[in-house]
Amino acid sequence: MNEETSALVELVNKMPDPDQRGMYCTDIDKDKIEGAIRNILRGGRANILGVVDMLVEPGKGDDVKAHYALHCMALHVCKQDSNRPRRRFSRTLASQIGGDRPKEVQKYLIRELQVAGGREAVESLGNVLTDEDLCEPAAQALAAIGDGAAEQLRGALSRTSGKCRLTILQNLGVVRDTDSVGALKKALSDEDKAVRMAAVWALANIGDSGSADTLLKTADKAEGWERIQATKGCLLLAEKLIAAGKKSEAAKIYKHLRDTQTKPAERYVSDAAKIGLAATD
Amino acid sequence: MQKGKRVTRRAFLKGSVGAAAAFTIVPRHVLGGAGNTPPSEKFGGALIGCGGRGNGTFEGLGPDVEKLAICDVKFVKHADNKKVYSDFRRVLERKDIDVVAIATHPGWHALISIAAIEAGKDVLCEKPMTRFIAEGRAVAEAEKRYNRIFQIGTYGRFGRSRNQGDILTHKIMKSGLLKPCKGVHIKRGGLKVREWSGMVNAKPHPIPDTLDWDMYCGPAPLRPYHPHRFGGTHRGYWDYEGGGLADMGQHHFDPVQWTFAKDDTSPVEIEAFAPPAHPEACGMWGWVELKYADGLTFVMDSTEWPEDNKPSYDRKESGGVSLGDLSEEDQKKIKEMPDPEPLIGFPEAIRTRKQAGGHAAAAHRCATILHLANIAIRMGRKIQYDPVNEEIIGDDEANRLVNQPMRAPWHL
Repeated sequence: MNEETSALVELVNKMPDPDQRGMYCTDIDKDKIEGAIRNILRGGRANILGVVDMLVEPGKGDDVKAHYALHCMALHVCKQDSNRPRRRFSRTLASQIGGDRPKEVQKYLIRELQVAGGREAVESLGNVLTDEDLCEPAAQALAAIGDGAAEQLRGALSRTSGKCRLTILQNLGVVRDTDSVGALKKALSDEDKAVRMAAVWALANIGDSGSADTLLKTADKAEGWERIQATKGCLLLAEKLIAAGKKSEAAKIYKHLRDTQTKPAERYVSDAAKIGLAATD
Repeated sequence: MQKGKRVTRRAFLKGSVGAAAAFTIVPRHVLGGAGNTPPSEKFGGALIGCGGRGNGTFEGLGPDVEKLAICDVKFVKHADNKKVYSDFRRVLERKDIDVVAIATHPGWHALISIAAIEAGKDVLCEKPMTRFIAEGRAVAEAEKRYNRIFQIGTYGRFGRSRNQGDILTHKIMKSGLLKPCKGVHIKRGGLKVREWSGMVNAKPHPIPDTLDWDMYCGPAPLRPYHPHRFGGTHRGYWDYEGGGLADMGQHHFDPVQWTFAKDDTSPVEIEAFAPPAHPEACGMWGWVELKYADGLTFVMDSTEWPEDNKPSYDRKESGGVSLGDLSEEDQKKIKEMPDPEPLIGFPEAIRTRKQAGGHAAAAHRCATILHLANIAIRMGRKIQYDPVNEEIIGDDEANRLVNQPMRAPWHL
């Protein structure tokens, strides 16, 4: 172990030991922790990578202190007046995504990017959207970061299937990517019910007025849980349209639901549509 | 009445089942004497989440609810999808279920509440209401959109709405005449910080074959299974809840919030004293101070750190508000104000279709107090909150805890 590594290990060892129950509830020295984190970060990229090197897969060794230290570092860089330490931290973590590190370690790095990452990390996150193990945390980190996320999600959509595709479709709705409306409409006729429902919600959340007829048709023909969710999509879209000043388009949705969901068990939908319709006057 | 002939409450109340109902509804005066409710006026109920708080929460639905279904992710081995379920969506598809009691871990509370409302059900949801702030707003929007009844499973505010001292404080605060407000409410201890912390060194365990672990995790990250993440100890993990602060906090602050008339707003400045938080496990903290725009301050003092049972907060003294804080003219205005309507509970709300006392918007504001406290603890810095737009001001990273991404297919 060289001198730098030894010094880093010493700093990481200043993180608290878990108590008898395996928790951080006793003998917590806030000043000692924060002082050690400041000193680790003074070592720049080399020390960040050094802490990352100490991480192991769950159950494959003891990385409790390194695991905690990395998160404390993420919190610390977010507290600084300057954005530079945060960007350096984020770039360093992003550089470790998609390589040979164990997937569980990469997941943790991605989750820390969800805490402290920014625009500088989105490309690395986008590159793993096709990875079955990493697409969920990567898409969530992208959604949290926001800036630059839509391009990454949109770009990966055609290269994915199964869980990754579903995750991306949903998150295109989260980031309200209007450029994905065409792809989302296409997904409405997918064989997979979960994909269809994700597309309905995404289109509704985007607030695309051109989707109104399609969503209403989807709600009309769906049954059970899918019908409930498609109907929710229609009501959500109507609210988005009102917020965008498109009251007449919203009124069309409400009138349709008022007139079609009239069976006793669905009367509450018709009633909800009437309330919504009143807001379009 | 024969089994299978039960008329659902919705159809009964709305008189919309037509002639068929005429043969099945038995008037109260025929069968409902001596305090008994006739079967035709029973509500079909379901319990989703059958852990320690399950039956207690279901009882909160009132005596007129018949339990038709139970659902839990630990029922995968013996779910028959008739009475016993492991997937709440199948329960919510049932048209004979009118009301739902939710007692899952809180990471599911908002999503199942919203889904139940979207399926036309009324909801009684165990506290704490949510896992993060945006969830609460989404529940309140769903409650309003579908005009359903929602009640949070904590009841301290009902007594307050009938107590003259609390009513007076409520009226003073509601009037907006007390500016600035010097009231300080300090909650010392009782927030079970140590008891409901999470493990930082939990090693993966095999998933029990009776458990749908993926569904248990739901919108949260799919973590390796550990028994401490399951059952009551789930409270110690950010994935599912927010420690003792979020859990016991809703019990304590929900009535306090009513007394101080803060059901429609949130604190604007929040500061905490705590060591850096662990990324997954809830842990130790000292105190949190939350200040409203009018100056009213709520404080949580864990009394568990650095030493057991000793206060660590010494910035302000406790102090209430009184008529004497106002000018004579303003005191007169308060005395002329009508008393607020007593709050009504869930059983009465579902019969009268009036808003329940612990409705979603109010419960969401209380949960927001707790989430803001935890965000200040987790971010390690003072935060400023915009209670109208419900976002943290000028702090992108802290806002990531206000509205957290979910694992597909789950979303708000």
